[in-house]
Amino acid sequence: MSRVLKVNNVTKYIEKKEIIKGISFNIEEGEILGFLGPNGAGKSTTLRMIVGLSKPSSGTIEICGASISTQYIKAMENVGCLIEGPDLYNFATGMKNLEMLSAMSKNISKEDILEVVRLVGLENRINDKVSTYSMGMRQRLGLAQALIHKPKLLILDEPTNGFDPQGIFEFREIIKDLVRHKNISVLISSHLISEIQLMCDKVSIINDGLIIKNAKVSDLLSSGTIYWVLDDPLKGQTLLKEKYKADLKIENNELMGNIDLEKIEEMNKYLIDEGIKLKYVGIKSLTLEELFLNLTEHHHIT
Amino acid sequence: MVSLIQNEITKIFLKKKMILIAILLIVLVGLFAYGEKYAYDKTISKFESSVSGASYDWKSLVNQQIEQLKGRVDSPYIPESAIQSINIQIEQLEYFVSHDLNPITPSTARFTVEFMEQSIILFLPLLIIILAADLISSEFSNRTIKLLLTRAVPRWKVLLSKYLALVMMTTMVILLIGIISGGVSRLFFGVWGFDEPIATGFKYIGGTLNSDSVIRITRLEYMFLVYALGWFVSIAIASITFMISALVRSTATAIGIIMASLIGGQFLQFFLSDWGIVKYFFVSNLNLIKYLTGSFQPIEGMSLVFSVLVLSVWSVVSLVISFFVFSKQDVLV
Repeated sequence: MSRVLKVNNVTKYIEKKEIIKGISFNIEEGEILGFLGPNGAGKSTTLRMIVGLSKPSSGTIEICGASISTQYIKAMENVGCLIEGPDLYNFATGMKNLEMLSAMSKNISKEDILEVVRLVGLENRINDKVSTYSMGMRQRLGLAQALIHKPKLLILDEPTNGFDPQGIFEFREIIKDLVRHKNISVLISSHLISEIQLMCDKVSIINDGLIIKNAKVSDLLSSGTIYWVLDDPLKGQTLLKEKYKADLKIENNELMGNIDLEKIEEMNKYLIDEGIKLKYVGIKSLTLEELFLNLTEHHHIT
Repeated sequence: MVSLIQNEITKIFLKKKMILIAILLIVLVGLFAYGEKYAYDKTISKFESSVSGASYDWKSLVNQQIEQLKGRVDSPYIPESAIQSINIQIEQLEYFVSHDLNPITPSTARFTVEFMEQSIILFLPLLIIILAADLISSEFSNRTIKLLLTRAVPRWKVLLSKYLALVMMTTMVILLIGIISGGVSRLFFGVWGFDEPIATGFKYIGGTLNSDSVIRITRLEYMFLVYALGWFVSIAIASITFMISALVRSTATAIGIIMASLIGGQFLQFFLSDWGIVKYFFVSNLNLIKYLTGSFQPIEGMSLVFSVLVLSVWSVVSLVISFFVFSKQDVLV
């Protein structure tokens, strides 16, 4: 696997305010990285630096091994992006929009354009003026623009804004398909945590200009909370505390806490032996949403 | 690079700007030509009624005009400064009569030149502003600038393609003015008059008109000269508008700034011509064609060469600023 994107210790000052405070992350070939953070955390600013719209104050960004500051053209050949909604010329047709864009890259044939139009499912309306498009269609055209020069890295900033549920589903399938069959790597920023959870392999949680967690989505979600439904939760709490030094709390008559999963069977047996009626035991896996809120709740815009 | 320029030209055409410019031209040229035809017919009927019985011929009409002007010079109510310019007019008319050059009868060639003379300080810049003002700022307000700057094309190339497209379109506007004013006025006047001779190059030395340096060329040649100057002025206006378009984020602001400079500049020149710095403002130097008549000096120390230099410096500086700002700035739209 080769490294498609390498962001190394990047900072960005805007009007003397430090917006990005030194962030680093990588994307390997065929990976989907989710970029998660509240408004104003610096997601967009970071993505803009990766696609060359603004320049980092310090630090380096490499795309497929080419630095965007010294080998700009080589780096940009490998990036396709959709930053904050589709940007289209309303006075032209969808086709004309794509043709004008294809003239800016080398070796894009008419067939390539038609292929990408089919891929995003716009073949019926591509010759209509963009001003007649719905939001979802504009977003599809925006995706086509990002893909037209066959980039190795696709950067999507809030890509599902404006889609209906059907559109979101289709969009997700298009992206997953691209990753599977064309080996494209994707960087997605989103405030829709469910999107990240459904699409991404890795997630970087960013807050206040810093990455506060880099992890695999599966790892993040596997740490869970055990809960018991007992006839006498108070007694259970005391018993488990004495024997296993477990730090448990009672919520809604449920006894819960973070427990080593391997000890569950032993604990259950102990509770039953002590005469407690055990109705139910289960694992509440943490959603990304809860995790996100836990990680960011102490950070406020300063 | 060629394909980038093609893109920019496509955008200008898709926005239907050339059609707008053509319509504006047709309407204005039509009004002008009609007005001139009307005035000419009236002059003739006035002449014929004043010289009862005599049939119209341009020499006697010019002589009559000279007499009228002389009468005005003698009048005690005419200020000294105006007398000078009237004297120049008289001398020029006398030169025309003695050299058998007809300054009266309207023709297509004459009208085409006159239209450019009249429009060069305001109407022509306005047409160029229509083309240039939103060239960059609209990419920002529509956010499409992100498309242009996230491709494997360096920023200076993007901007250069825009500028070259603008130069081409400006040239086309000049051609369009020539074609439309020529075509429409031919309908009104019925004569081409391109091979008519014309005298140009009068010099105004020490209060009298000097005709030593006068050269006689055909109206066609004169027209090319005038339109070349018009083209030069347009390129200067285009470059300055281009810079403003690169500096501001909204098309409305860009148009506001450039229109305010144009109109404000005319006022400056009118009211503050004593103030030396005014002559270095680009608006004071737009009327290049008027230098050809020889007697024109809007502000002490200005000449055709001076104005061409001032406009060139403004254009070059504008381009340098545009390229510097455009390639350095962070795009945050």
